[in-house]
Amino acid sequence: MRGKFLAKNLLILALLVWSGISLWPTYKMQSMEPDVRARMESEGKLKKITGKAIRLGLDLQGGIYLVYEVDMPSLAEKNAGNRDSRFEELFQKVKEEAAKGDESFIPVLGRVFQEAGIPLHRYWGSRDDSDEKILREMEKESRDALDRAMEKLRNRIDQFGVSEPSIQKIRGNRILIELPGLSNVQQAKDQIGKTALLEFRLLKDPQVYGDVLDRIDKAVAREKGILSADTAASAEQMAVKPKTSQDTVLSVNELFGETDETPAPAATGDSIIVDQNIFQKNPFYALFRNARMQGREVAASVNNIRAIEQILAKPEIQKLIPSDAEFLWSSETFKIGDEDFRELFLVKSEAELTGDHLTDARVTIGSDVKNAGQPVVSFAMDRKGGRDFARITGANLRKRLAIVLDGRIVSAPVINDRIPNGRGVIEGVGKMDEANWLAICLRIGALPANLTIMEERSVGPTLGQDSINRGKTAAIVGTLLVILFMAVYYRLSGLIANIALLLNVFFLLAVLVQFGFTLTMPGIAGIVLTIGMAVDANVLVFERIREELRTGKTVRASIEAGYSRAFSAIIDSNITTLLTAFVLYQFGTGAVKGFAVTLSIGIVVNMFTSLFVTRVIFEHITSRRTLTRLSI
Amino acid sequence: MQFFKTPNIDFIGKRRKFYFLSLVLFLAGMASIFLHKGIQYGIDFKGGTSLVVRFEKPVTIGQIRDALSGVGLGGSEIKRFGAESEFIIYSSQQGAMNAADAADLVDEALNSQFPDNRHERLQVDTVGPKIGQELRKKAFMAVFFALVLMLVYISIRFEWVFAVGAVSALFHDVLITLGFFSIMGFELSLKEIAAFLTLVGYSLNDTIVVYDRIRENLKVFRNDELSVVMNKSINQTLNRTVNTGLTTLLAVAALYLLGGEVVRGFAFIMLFGILIGTYSSIFVAAPIVVEWQARHGGRQELRMGKKHKSL
Repeated sequence: MRGKFLAKNLLILALLVWSGISLWPTYKMQSMEPDVRARMESEGKLKKITGKAIRLGLDLQGGIYLVYEVDMPSLAEKNAGNRDSRFEELFQKVKEEAAKGDESFIPVLGRVFQEAGIPLHRYWGSRDDSDEKILREMEKESRDALDRAMEKLRNRIDQFGVSEPSIQKIRGNRILIELPGLSNVQQAKDQIGKTALLEFRLLKDPQVYGDVLDRIDKAVAREKGILSADTAASAEQMAVKPKTSQDTVLSVNELFGETDETPAPAATGDSIIVDQNIFQKNPFYALFRNARMQGREVAASVNNIRAIEQILAKPEIQKLIPSDAEFLWSSETFKIGDEDFRELFLVKSEAELTGDHLTDARVTIGSDVKNAGQPVVSFAMDRKGGRDFARITGANLRKRLAIVLDGRIVSAPVINDRIPNGRGVIEGVGKMDEANWLAICLRIGALPANLTIMEERSVGPTLGQDSINRGKTAAIVGTLLVILFMAVYYRLSGLIANIALLLNVFFLLAVLVQFGFTLTMPGIAGIVLTIGMAVDANVLVFERIREELRTGKTVRASIEAGYSRAFSAIIDSNITTLLTAFVLYQFGTGAVKGFAVTLSIGIVVNMFTSLFVTRVIFEHITSRRTLTRLSI
Repeated sequence: MQFFKTPNIDFIGKRRKFYFLSLVLFLAGMASIFLHKGIQYGIDFKGGTSLVVRFEKPVTIGQIRDALSGVGLGGSEIKRFGAESEFIIYSSQQGAMNAADAADLVDEALNSQFPDNRHERLQVDTVGPKIGQELRKKAFMAVFFALVLMLVYISIRFEWVFAVGAVSALFHDVLITLGFFSIMGFELSLKEIAAFLTLVGYSLNDTIVVYDRIRENLKVFRNDELSVVMNKSINQTLNRTVNTGLTTLLAVAALYLLGGEVVRGFAFIMLFGILIGTYSSIFVAAPIVVEWQARHGGRQELRMGKKHKSL
């Protein structure tokens, strides 16, 4: 008997020590002054403590939560061949239905095309493929796209060093990203979210390019009023600041002889720099510069880009551009004088090959005579990519093949040779850093599909800290109220229950830390709720003991009976709460899961503290001497 | 100290009065849901973008609306979020699903309208229409499975008449709380669903303790009328029922009053739910069993039959 008693005491003591050790880093973290924290962070010591402290959810420490989905529609559209008007019509329908309904994109696609009586192999796969096979392929492709996207997002997120980012694949071909500590969503999304699409596209013949520009120029000259009101107006407020003696700055109004008084948004204040000499005859060309001196083709000042894009977007002008081609800017700028310029290219709208076939790309130093000592970018492709690439390069010798990342041209090397095995080298890529940039674009830009954002949540650090403080206050005040009530109502026994209550919270927090659970605001609510319900078991027991005492039993017998007879009710009532917590954990998202976790741990711990610990304390009291009255 | 010294209240006899009270509470809530305010769904379920901002100095909702009208977001919902200078702005615009864009637009508009009253974004949530739909489904499934699990559990542990009573009390608690949730104008999001499910667990917890005692007493007082046993049981557990309700209520009240806007709706459900749950385990759950039994058979059937495990 004596030995058993000792063992119980030791068990409780051991748990206390264990919890104390578990919670010490959290205590240190929470009580640390901000300047101490900053210093430790700079010394790299902070991580050691934070790693062991309680993990706070995004809603408490601030951060960003993003859910991405593979943009299946654009992936399928990109892979479709022989597109005709019937295709566009059906595809539009598929997109609309998929966006509305419960079904995901691929099954909808299968259904819509089947209903229309059009076999999928008309646009996808090869001739003999059944619909099922093509749909299966698509599913596979979308999963594959997701895997790549995961890799790449991980890669990018690693690069900007958030502490403990989390990237997970979740149900429905989605990626969930959690970035604790960040609060600027836009910036984060720019860095990770804007997923790059890498394509190889052929440049249109220089001859064709020249013709198209000529035609546009003539059209602009002919119809000076071609710019719409808002374009003109936005240009009207542009800064007037001539750059070189030859250039004159003028408004687009002047350019196209139109005025409109609609006030323009202030944000669009670019100026347009026009070569006065050619302005009168060639108003469109006037927006450009010949950049041959820099080894480049047609280029425009970044200040003119907006105006040019607006002109190009006009339906009248669109008609002049070949239907299989589009204008794209270079991704990087270069300087003429002190001004930034971008090159404009005319490329085929359909990609020859997409970056998902790339397997590797890196910078090496050229070893042959031509490139000795110069950086070159070598790349490798998978088998299918290699085959296609051999065909493409073979058929288009001497032509320029643009590497397009997110609709901007990274580089447009000339195809010198047929590249048979999917291994090629891009020469003349400029200095080392430019070469590196190109290799990075090729390497991590090789994502087959865009990702769309499905859900996005961010909590600023202020609200997070605010929530922590409020949660703490509520928990402390709640605890004090309960403790006060118990002490007044049940006196000494109430104090015993209060010890159990405090231990309950203490152990609960320790378990959270040790098992790496995340504490969220609903989680704190769960703790507060646990505090309220923690004494329930003791209330049940105490009421029962009182009843037993009233029947005239001895103190020790009453305690005995109270515990054993209240047991079934306690188990029953706790099981219902555990069941709900279980359901919540299954269906809840992040924050709600946190609630389910604290609630269920709270209950399990509660069973221990309110039944076992209080019992041991009662045993202590009654073992010394035989009580005739119990303070309850 | 003791609230009720050997209470002997005739709960069963007065049951009609409490049915009436419950009915009034229920109808008030339903009137709010179906005729007046309805249930306001939060961002999780309806999709769109919501933005919580805190200004340095107080502004009015009207001023914010003016600022937003300038960028075509005049139709946004704007509500106070706790403190005087904190607001939640909700826009259902989800066209291109360009989340941050709507938030940025709001930012810009507020900056230009209040150049010398800076604001801080506390929280931005954007939920795409598809996700909103899925979350609704998830919430529904969660509620459904929780209820099914409870039913299964009760029917294993108790005679089925008790199950009827417990489930009635459960719906009583949840529906009345839902009604008052609507009256108070809180928003229903995932967190609040979690609170409702917890309430489901709590409501049963309370009822079970009373039933547990009834079950016990039925064996002890074999010759008493069912209503007498019921009254005895409710009275015996009265202190416990009230005390547990009270301690939980104290903790949750602290959460409701001090926990801040983030958990206000959540805490309200718990607060009100515990109140009504405690009430129903005394005044509704057991009387319903009596009611049912009076119509469908004597107390004989209520004896713990052979097929049920005894305690």
